Amino acid sequence: MVNDATATAGPAAGGGERPALAIEGLRFRYGADGPWIIDIGGLRLARGEQVLLTGGSGRGKSTLLQLIAGLLEPTSGSVRVEGQAMHGLRGAARDLFRGRHIGMIFQTFNLLHGFSALENVMAALMFSSIPRGEHRRRAAELLHHLGIERADADPDRLSVGQQQRVAVARAVACDPVLVLADEPTASLDPENSATAMELIQQIAREKNAALLCTSHDPAMADRFERRVTLEELRA
Amino acid sequence: MTDWTIITRSLTARLFSTVTTVITVAVAVALLLTLLTMRDAGRRAFDRGSGNMHLLVSRDASPLVSVLNGVFYAGSPRRPIEWSKYEQLARSAPFEFAVPTQIGDNYRGNPVLGTTPEFFTRFQPVDKRPWAFAQGRAFDKDWEVVLGAQAARATGLRLGDKISLTHGAAAAGDGRAGPAPHEHQQFKYEVVGILEPTGSAHDRALFTSLQSAWIIHAHDRREREEMAEAGRAGERPAGHEHETAEEHAAHADTHDHEHEARTTAADLVEGDRLITGIYLRLIARAGSDAPANLPQVFDQLRRDTSITVAQPQQEIGKLFGIVSSVDKILLGMAVVVMISSGIAIMLALYNSMEQRRRQIAVLRVLGASRARVFNLVITESAVIGFLGAIAGVAIAAGGLVVVARVMKRSVGLVIDAGLAPDVAMIVMSLTIVLASLAGIIPAAMAYRTAVAKNLKPMG
Repeated sequence: MVNDATATAGPAAGGGERPALAIEGLRFRYGADGPWIIDIGGLRLARGEQVLLTGGSGRGKSTLLQLIAGLLEPTSGSVRVEGQAMHGLRGAARDLFRGRHIGMIFQTFNLLHGFSALENVMAALMFSSIPRGEHRRRAAELLHHLGIERADADPDRLSVGQQQRVAVARAVACDPVLVLADEPTASLDPENSATAMELIQQIAREKNAALLCTSHDPAMADRFERRVTLEELRA
Repeated sequence: MTDWTIITRSLTARLFSTVTTVITVAVAVALLLTLLTMRDAGRRAFDRGSGNMHLLVSRDASPLVSVLNGVFYAGSPRRPIEWSKYEQLARSAPFEFAVPTQIGDNYRGNPVLGTTPEFFTRFQPVDKRPWAFAQGRAFDKDWEVVLGAQAARATGLRLGDKISLTHGAAAAGDGRAGPAPHEHQQFKYEVVGILEPTGSAHDRALFTSLQSAWIIHAHDRREREEMAEAGRAGERPAGHEHETAEEHAAHADTHDHEHEARTTAADLVEGDRLITGIYLRLIARAGSDAPANLPQVFDQLRRDTSITVAQPQQEIGKLFGIVSSVDKILLGMAVVVMISSGIAIMLALYNSMEQRRRQIAVLRVLGASRARVFNLVITESAVIGFLGAIAGVAIAAGGLVVVARVMKRSVGLVIDAGLAPDVAMIVMSLTIVLASLAGIIPAAMAYRTAVAKNLKPMG
């Protein structure tokens, strides 16, 4: 199923529950007179909803995810995560909010080298409100759940597929309301891509987190009920 | 997983860089600590020794040499003072004490001071701290010897041991004329006392009665006279094969003397009664250490051109004045080395930043604030400083022991080689502060790391 072009309403968008993600009039460009990289009228994702954002390389998919995560400042418009205006938060408050409410998965995994798989997951928990005493157990259980048996291994010693699982575990360790996955299968072969995407979607469902996934892999399209392009979202 | 885990992993991930930087800091800290400690310890060591004496009289070439020889045993005075001169000087002013001393003999390289019992009862090597005996007592007759604390340790002698002193100068190394050192086996001294340490140069000396030293001098004189007489008569004294007095003196400790009769106090003549220094203290009012007539007596004694008069405290002050410029240069160099070590820390962290941008970006994505990332780098820098400071203190502690030994051996200065805890703490604290400051630029780089840019490729 393909959403309408503006895609302003998700399954729960009209309900009383706050959406996991609500974007309104979001515009972004580099400099004062550059072309608009992002120009979105609106986008809403309910808790548990999964959306695939497609489009060619360099069209601004990653930029949109960075705006949502509060890593870039929009030129105008707003991004709300579970009702909280991301860009209304400043400095450490925004960083902390991101750490606790948004999970990010990257194409290159961006695991911390020199730290074990377990420590990579625990690194995410460092910034959560979860008591420190529970971090190790929680991280170990999550890795085990995702099929990582060698939790103490350095990620460099794990297969690419296992590294992706560690990255997924880290993204969902804090029970986020929103998972942003930026080309999460681009580094994987087709077989592993399917497995990895299945894993990401499954864990997002288990955590009842909204999932916004970017990809230019056509094979991914069938995995999502809701699919949008940046062009469709344009205001 | 804590901030500390991140810091330690970062340090161990680039172990070679960390270790070399820590070593750089450690060397700088050790250098600074050694210089500071030696400066203070040196001053303390020089302040000790002259104790409660006001004036020192000798016939050395200058007042400073007089103090170095007479108080710190740096060398043996060349020109003695006759006993009659001592008696005249001792009566010349109202002195609380006028302790005669004679330096020139040694035991296994430790200087021997011939003196009178007043040396122990009136003179105090450290002002307001009288001599204290760890064992035994002061000598009260000839052929008894008291050991300084360090001399006792160095020689291993105990109460009741019998020793022979080496008569004549120990290896002075200045090429001066004088009798070659030789041992008089027939004159045995008994160890009757061992002193508590004073921290002064006296700790490495042995103390005997003046008369004992005079008798040995007299013994040598008689030998020379006998040989001269025998030479005139065309025969040699019994038991001797030496051609000349010089040859006799040079036979050193190769055999015992076997003169027909042992020399005693009865054989002393005026020419044997020689001393090399006089410790003088003027009568001062109770509670005061600066008698009003000190300048007047000092000037009066200085008018006597046959003697050298020194005010030990002033001479020590002058000595420190001479070396203070060198002292400042050395301290300046140590500070420069410290700053260099700070730069080394900064460079090590700065270079690592390029490799760590992605790690920092990931931590930011996970929820670390800019301030937290900044603090991580500053703390890492401070940890390098702390490790360097600890290693530096250890190196300095070991180095000071070595330097103290060298100082004792070369100039006879007994230096307290212990690191002052407050100085060590101050230097360590400053090192950590300096290291933290050195971390500011790398930390600022971490603070400004563009997260989005450093997470690429993202699609």
